Amino acid sequence: MLPTGVHFETYAGEARILKTRRATVWLGLLILGLVILPQAVGPYTVGVFTHMFITLMAVYGLYVTVGLGGQINIAQSAFVGVGAFATAKLSGYGLPFWAVIPMAALITGAVSVIFALPAAKVKGFYLALTTLAAQVMFPIVIFALPMDWLGGLVGMAVEPVRLGPITLGSPVHFYYFTLVLVGLLTVAAFNLPRTRFGRSLMAVRDNDVVAEVMGVPVFRTKVMAFFAGSLFAGVAGACTAYFLQFVTVESFTLFASVWYLGMLIVGGAASPVGAILGVVFITAVQEGLHSAATVMLQSGAAGGGMLFALTSIVLGGCILVALIFEPRGLAHRWSVIRTAFQLWPFPRN
Amino acid sequence: MKYKCAIVAGAMLAMASGPLSAAEYVMSASADYSGPFADVMPNAMSGINAIADWWNAEVGKDLGVTVQVKIYDMRYDASVIARTWPAILSSDKPILHLGFGSPDLVTLMKRLPNDKVPMLIGTAMVGLVWAPDGWHYSIRPTYSHEFAGLMSDLQEKKGGKLKIGAVSTQKSAGFVDQVKGVQKLAEMYPDRFEVLEVQWVEASPVSVTNNIRAMLDGQPDVILVGGTTAQVIATAQALEELGADVPIISSTHNGLSEVAKGIDLAKMEGSFSAFSFAPPARDGLPIRDVYEKHKKDGNWGLITAQSAAQALLALRVLEHAVKTVGADNVTGEAMRAALLDRVYTEEELLGALPSVDFDTTAPFPIGEIKATAEVVEGGKIVPYGEGWMPVPPLEKW
Repeated sequence: MLPTGVHFETYAGEARILKTRRATVWLGLLILGLVILPQAVGPYTVGVFTHMFITLMAVYGLYVTVGLGGQINIAQSAFVGVGAFATAKLSGYGLPFWAVIPMAALITGAVSVIFALPAAKVKGFYLALTTLAAQVMFPIVIFALPMDWLGGLVGMAVEPVRLGPITLGSPVHFYYFTLVLVGLLTVAAFNLPRTRFGRSLMAVRDNDVVAEVMGVPVFRTKVMAFFAGSLFAGVAGACTAYFLQFVTVESFTLFASVWYLGMLIVGGAASPVGAILGVVFITAVQEGLHSAATVMLQSGAAGGGMLFALTSIVLGGCILVALIFEPRGLAHRWSVIRTAFQLWPFPRN
Repeated sequence: MKYKCAIVAGAMLAMASGPLSAAEYVMSASADYSGPFADVMPNAMSGINAIADWWNAEVGKDLGVTVQVKIYDMRYDASVIARTWPAILSSDKPILHLGFGSPDLVTLMKRLPNDKVPMLIGTAMVGLVWAPDGWHYSIRPTYSHEFAGLMSDLQEKKGGKLKIGAVSTQKSAGFVDQVKGVQKLAEMYPDRFEVLEVQWVEASPVSVTNNIRAMLDGQPDVILVGGTTAQVIATAQALEELGADVPIISSTHNGLSEVAKGIDLAKMEGSFSAFSFAPPARDGLPIRDVYEKHKKDGNWGLITAQSAAQALLALRVLEHAVKTVGADNVTGEAMRAALLDRVYTEEELLGALPSVDFDTTAPFPIGEIKATAEVVEGGKIVPYGEGWMPVPPLEKW
């Protein structure tokens, strides 16, 4: 919905993502804030934001597969892992990051297609089970392959990102690196619903029988939903590998896949704003609770075991409250608030 | 005249009060208050803090050095460690990091040589990271070395070949590595040890009765369960169901004191936990007395004994570094050099560890490695034997 008094006289104006000057200014301020953030906060907070960006890349992927395509995927962490191991292997050959990251994304996409094939036959819980198979098979395959292929039980070391003679090993350098990447993926995620492919995804999601009647290639679209979502996961995996500088299968668990899905559901699966809000909300609650617990622990006000058990309960409670009061996700609440501002001074329905 | 008197008085006061300012160093420590080891973490950190307090009061004071231990909750999560470590480096400038478990190992071992900060972990090492020239060390050898020490002792008492069955999981690289180390032991000493078979099961199995039934056909003398506490409990229950009496060998993380929280210890009669620091209940253990005198919270137990030993070795290394480079010049590099420079004796380690010697070939003590164990006797956990058990030399697997 457009703000009161805003209208367009050209198609180009109508087609813009940022339709008003105010929106452009807000986005500019956000980018400026993110750019100067490392100068204002300590390295730990920089690390939290870096990790949040990487998580957001993975959740964007889920938004494409689940939110746009309507295909259940509970193996996103395994796909992130595929990207991470591909990065470790490719960077081990001395390839630069600008070659490694696209290749890792494509490899991840190709692997995801194998698990997308059942989407032609099954949907819902049944499809969820096939993706679960990907999650279960991932560590077994890595362990079973010869150790000099993907590190097997040991895992693989990854050299930090190098930009010419500069090594992006410091937290601040890597923060900017992931900021640029997440910026590019954000543009992709916001643009995707506006493309022909994005509309095909939504058509299949809403009613695949009708979509087929309308001429949408349903099977191909479902497979492409996985492929496109896994491209995001591949980039997230590459960043994870460069961030941790060591990859083992233990970093890519079913638990992480469930968290990714949880972030998307809390934020709202229907728009990329939901992915952003979900990741920010969960990360903020996790880190906030953890910081509070750490302060209490260091002050001796409470014992560690009980304190951190309580933080897990509070985190679960926050997620429950968010879903009870906003079952359509935080993005819907955001939309309602924004609409109220945009329609002002007129009342909204 | 007044000024002269004031200057002289000030100088006398300064001399009387000892060093004007003690050199202060930070040792960072990884904790896990919100991960799988949250339950035992208060006691673990209590062990480190008590030993640091004792050292500052009794040893550091004379050296003109104070150590501050800064504990960080790493949540047993590699990504948390990856984002916390740069902050620790820039804000604390630690001279040594007291690590905890495999997430610390995999995340930091490649970074430490560049950061010039050595890491000393209290958990046992795994053969997976047995590589030279690292900056990561453990106070304990590999799990397999510890099992080998106990198995060697049991074999000598039995005479003939010790037949070993193993239950583990392929879900964790470290647990697979434990079994591979024991298989290497059997390969190196075929007259003394035989690994009958390995039953790979779930990390938290509901029942392993069928697996144990198959294993019992080979009449094992011991069953090695180095993985999870749930596996130890399931194995004990399977043995009871099958009416078999075979001792189980576990480690510390899944050891007898952990198992006792889940089942009656009577079902574990004769079973062992193998490790390589002093059993907490060992008679006349000096480090226990130090802990009890200086602790602010927590209770003495297996995890406390381990973390106290870890902290004490780190502080003894600091003492040696101070003697080598001076109280004001200790760096991470000086700490690593001091760790590698000499043997740290059991006596100066207050009985917490056997004498330990480190070099650049392995990330754990080398030379004559020793282990020890606890055993269930009469439904109670007691130290097994009276001293340390020598570990037969093991080649890298």
